[in-house]
Amino acid sequence: MKPTCPARSRREFAAQLAGGFGSVALASLLEESGRAATAPAGTPPLPHHQPRAKQVIQLFMLGGASQCDTFDYKPELQQRGGKKVNFTVTGGTQASAGPLLRSPWAWQQHGQCGRWVTNALPQLATCVDDMAFLMAMNAPTSEHSAGQTMQTSGFVVPGFPTVGAWVSYALGRLTDNLPVFVALPDPVGLPWTGKAAWTNGFLPAVHQGTMLNPAAENPVPDLFAPKNSGLASAGSEHDGLALLAKLNRARLQPGDSRLEARIASYELAARMQLAVPEVLDLQGETAATKELYGFGDAKTEPLGRNCLIARRLVERGVRFVQLWCGSGLAGASGNWDNHGDITPGSDFERMCVRSDKPIAGLLKDLKARGLLNETVVLWTTEFGRTPYSQGSKGRDHNGNTFVSWMAGGGIKGGTTYGESDEFSFKAARNTTMCYDQHATLMHLLGYDHEQLFFRHNGADRRLTDVHGSVIRDLLA
Amino acid sequence: MHRFNLSCPPLLRTLSIAALASTLVGSAPSAAAEDKPKSSPTPAAKAGASRDWWSLKPLVKPAVPQTGNPIDAFIRAKLAEKQLQPAPEAEPRVLIRRLYFDLLGLPPKPEEVAEFERACSIGDRQSATSSLVDKLLASPHYGERWARHWLDVVHYGDTHGYDKDKPRPNAWPYRDYVIRAFNEDRPYARFIQEQVAGDVLFPSTRDGIEALGFIAAGPWDFIGHAEVPETKIDGKIARHLDRDDMVANTLQTFNSLTVGCAQCHDHKFDPIPQRDYYRLHAVFAALDRADKKYFTDAKLTARFAELEHRQRTLTAQRTALENKPKLTAGKELESLDQQIEAASKAKGGLRPEYGYHSAVSPTQVTTKWVQVDLGRSVAIDRVVLRPCYDDFNKIGAGFGFPVRFKVEASEDAQFKSGVVAIADKTAADFANPGIAPQIFKSTGATARFLRVTVTKLALRQNDYILALAEVQVFDSTGNNVALKGGVTALDSIEAAPRWRKANLTDDVAPAADNSGALAELRAKREALLAKFTDDTARAQLAALAKDMEHVAAELKQFPKPDVVYAGTVHYGGGAFSGTGPAGGKPRVIKVLHRGDVKQPKDEVIPGAPGYLTGLPGEFTLPAEHAEGERRAALARWLSSTDNSLTWRSIVNRVWQYHFGRGLVETPNDFGRMGALPTHPELLDWLAVEFRDNGGTLKQLHKLIVSSTTYRQSSSVQRAAATDSANSLLWRQNRRKLDAEAVRDATLFVAGKLDPKLGGPAFQDFIVEKPEHSPHYQYHLHDPEDPRSHRRSVYRFLVRSQTQPFMTTLDCADPSMQVGKRNESVSALQALALLNNGLMVTMSKHFAAKLDAGGGDLNAKVERAFREALSRAPSPEEKGGLTAYAQQHGLANACRVLFNLNEFAFVD
Repeated sequence: MKPTCPARSRREFAAQLAGGFGSVALASLLEESGRAATAPAGTPPLPHHQPRAKQVIQLFMLGGASQCDTFDYKPELQQRGGKKVNFTVTGGTQASAGPLLRSPWAWQQHGQCGRWVTNALPQLATCVDDMAFLMAMNAPTSEHSAGQTMQTSGFVVPGFPTVGAWVSYALGRLTDNLPVFVALPDPVGLPWTGKAAWTNGFLPAVHQGTMLNPAAENPVPDLFAPKNSGLASAGSEHDGLALLAKLNRARLQPGDSRLEARIASYELAARMQLAVPEVLDLQGETAATKELYGFGDAKTEPLGRNCLIARRLVERGVRFVQLWCGSGLAGASGNWDNHGDITPGSDFERMCVRSDKPIAGLLKDLKARGLLNETVVLWTTEFGRTPYSQGSKGRDHNGNTFVSWMAGGGIKGGTTYGESDEFSFKAARNTTMCYDQHATLMHLLGYDHEQLFFRHNGADRRLTDVHGSVIRDLLA
Repeated sequence: MHRFNLSCPPLLRTLSIAALASTLVGSAPSAAAEDKPKSSPTPAAKAGASRDWWSLKPLVKPAVPQTGNPIDAFIRAKLAEKQLQPAPEAEPRVLIRRLYFDLLGLPPKPEEVAEFERACSIGDRQSATSSLVDKLLASPHYGERWARHWLDVVHYGDTHGYDKDKPRPNAWPYRDYVIRAFNEDRPYARFIQEQVAGDVLFPSTRDGIEALGFIAAGPWDFIGHAEVPETKIDGKIARHLDRDDMVANTLQTFNSLTVGCAQCHDHKFDPIPQRDYYRLHAVFAALDRADKKYFTDAKLTARFAELEHRQRTLTAQRTALENKPKLTAGKELESLDQQIEAASKAKGGLRPEYGYHSAVSPTQVTTKWVQVDLGRSVAIDRVVLRPCYDDFNKIGAGFGFPVRFKVEASEDAQFKSGVVAIADKTAADFANPGIAPQIFKSTGATARFLRVTVTKLALRQNDYILALAEVQVFDSTGNNVALKGGVTALDSIEAAPRWRKANLTDDVAPAADNSGALAELRAKREALLAKFTDDTARAQLAALAKDMEHVAAELKQFPKPDVVYAGTVHYGGGAFSGTGPAGGKPRVIKVLHRGDVKQPKDEVIPGAPGYLTGLPGEFTLPAEHAEGERRAALARWLSSTDNSLTWRSIVNRVWQYHFGRGLVETPNDFGRMGALPTHPELLDWLAVEFRDNGGTLKQLHKLIVSSTTYRQSSSVQRAAATDSANSLLWRQNRRKLDAEAVRDATLFVAGKLDPKLGGPAFQDFIVEKPEHSPHYQYHLHDPEDPRSHRRSVYRFLVRSQTQPFMTTLDCADPSMQVGKRNESVSALQALALLNNGLMVTMSKHFAAKLDAGGGDLNAKVERAFREALSRAPSPEEKGGLTAYAQQHGLANACRVLFNLNEFAFVD
């Protein structure tokens, strides 16, 4: 956990040091100096209560994953497929509703809890006893970017900090060697809003998600000098950093912790240069582990690799991992936006296959290693899809109801909360919004969402705006 | 369980207010603390919070406590109260570096440092400083530096933001206007007026129009406007949020108050009732963000807008007339349309090399040409034009085939002499042939060049183009002599593989299978429509055509208008029509219950807020007034000498950029949630002084930087225990350079900074997939590209994908109004400064510059220090860096210098 000594004394303590920093103190010092410079914000409070978890993995199914074909079983819909129902269309791309479209996937109950799941997600179906479902999530929009921004930051307009940035701001870091908040975009491309999907908003830049691109020459931007620069060698980098530290130390000024913080930042950078390649080096993982995540199959390996990396990041103390399944910028088929077709053989099936085994593998692996106790896994999407058809085989956007699930530290597996109407068109009972999910998440991490704020342009801003309540029914 | 509101201010717990206020205020005078809100915000919210608040009170010039520079007098008085000693004056080399970065955002050259040190040593330091300050304020780089601060505040960007994030190619004239206004020391009142209502208050000036870019500076929801009409809920929300941004930007920028909090209910802490907030909406209710065409002659601008409006009206009338027979033709037409669509889709094995495609034109009657070089003079037997196939906009067969055109041959590549006509189809519209080859027999032309000149283009979407799959030129033996011939054209989109000039002679064209049938179907359709068009309609159509010709002819006489992206009455079509088609009449604004567009209540009239004790917010506008009168009234209110917030706000902003912290630490919030002034009398004295002396910013700068307070050293042996945060200014603050200053200084020191002023933004990214959602790929940019070696204020600012290097260095996010930048230190920052392509590249250029200067390594290292840090190295520093340079090269040594604390801070 975060060091418990008050910020002021920590800062003063660090300011007295001429050099040579202890481990976590290093990075804390940086964040301190960042906060000091943005004084109106003040320092975030220490945890409000005993936390149930300390890390988070947010899984984002981009495009609007169909609840009608995954988790929200409606016998009424299955029976009355093809019939017209007079729905009031509130969003999406169509002006009027098509006939009801029964799910072409087979429904079956799973686990001790008897959760209904279709055969589109056979592997996740084996994990339902670890998952707690929000069956009546509601979004205020049926537009992609607004929906995505809403689920990641709690606002439909851009510019607000994402959940990961808030968690970074509140809880700080567990390790000096890796960024506190890491984003893993789908290898096919970025989300709808590009890199703004892990923005720090108005929080200091240290809370921004660091994009990890495992396939790139520099998996973290500027981790190493460009290969073609012809300048950098192991010796030049090592000696350069040593000389830099020496020159900087010789001109330290009393009463300005930023100067020491900057020296420390270069030590941290050097550590990150070792730690990032290490976390991406999967050679030490056993064949069995890799199989669990779907390695060896081109359909599952891309996301499986990111899921395995997510586990390794959490293992090494990264506080918040945001993992994307689907891209908004790689054409219509690269995500869950299945307007045209949700039947077997469609893009919908491809997205299911792409994520089912890797995410189930991640849950199982976290559990086997004892990491799931302290890690919250959050599966979400920007909105749901309509029970009526678009074209003959597809479904339109539907912000009225959708499904999200949580698992891990402090979550009571096998539970459900909320219910949609008979067709899964609208949330009907115990409706929740992302505010409630975020409030619950912060609660698990030891924070009262109403007591965690940051002053910006004359307003004390919260992750949950003026909304949100902890969903107690989901808590273990 | 939840009701969704647009965006509400967060709830504040009564419990935390007192605690927060004390954290924020720090060592501020305790008298002001009595003005803090009472324990519960709720009663205040009901009644509207009190106007009894320091920032809302009228300005009264306080007496200066001592003689000398009044700034020093106020500062010294406070220091004396706390028994604090001011720090000694900074050394000349420290002071000159500070002044250069503060006023220009660039470091001084070593010779300028030496000159200033010499002037200080032989003469009066005060006068040496004074003439240096005059020189810097006269530099055009001053405007670039201070415009950048202003652009932070108004959240200027070069793209729309939101998910499509399309570019705004005409945003930059506003940026250049701001630079110009600073350089010309525009009186602040006029600077405000120009940005809010320049078109009304200063007609016939370029500044009066370009300044309106202020209203449009913030993000714009493309989908919410262009794809969702105003009649739908999502469309209403998008337009409400768009106006909210205009309102918030205006009030926060000029008055440092957050009015947006009043959109759901009366402001909880500041005296802003919900009604006042919606009155501000009414001020901007006629506007949208759009490209505004203009001429410096306002009469021309007005006539041009009128003609364009007339053109749009006539087009709409024509469409309506043409649609009438479509309705009466009914089923028969429907069936024909289906057949045509089916026939158009039968495209056969289409190859990816579609053909040649001209640049897109907004007008149909435009001349474009494309020509083939046959390589030698040939006796031409016939010319065959092969149409294209492209599903774009469901056009299919015959995509881009010209409506009026001629085919000519000549020996002269310029077609100035000896032109022989082969076909002339310019007198009447040519029926679209689908993909059927069009054959034109030549009557004995012998020439080397074959040109197709188009006088009326084909409709694409809302615009017009020329596209051809293939031009074939056959000689009498049936040989296609145009094959692989060189192609030139007036313009071309060159989007390989589909569209490029070379595709015109590559022997790839859609097969000509069903096109005869298609042409027949289309002819049938025309005949059918003609059958249902009566004589009156025909006469009306003819009259319309004549009117349109007149309008087009007059428009043709105009010079090319300038364009700026601005807050303007928009004349559009489809979902994004704006208020223009209805004559620019402002939209009706009603108070929205709980900020919900589905719950409109009472209609409001335009007005300014009523929060100032010395200035009412009511406008006195006649019942029938033009929309611009509303903005003019707001501009007058904002720039009034009685608007105490305006004058306090701007002097505080300027102070902040000189000291790293404002006299009020929250530059965008002078309300009850903001900080209290550390030196209220000084703030008011500066505000009155500035206001009453013509609102000249240059004089204000001079006053501040000439003060002893500003010129103090930032280095001290011991921090004062009673004020370790230095809020009373017993020393100058050491300031971390912002992202732009770091980048510009690096380019400057490396000898690569291109000092060119103004113009379109440079792009340090490559755009991929521009047609849908543009991808801004920064990592593909070559840092050696000299076009990107300009000052950072000219950088193309993408909202969704901000520049990673600059963002890491705490650059302002153009999606948000930034009154004060965050300042952070992180490992990622260290990595960026060490390894970013730009830093590495500039390290090499810096080394090359040092090498070019000659001397041994010692001498080069010595000069490197002077260039980068404005000082000579110590013997240890010189030894250390020289040894490192010896082993790892001078460029790596330059990298070390660029990463020093000293390079990143200004003392």
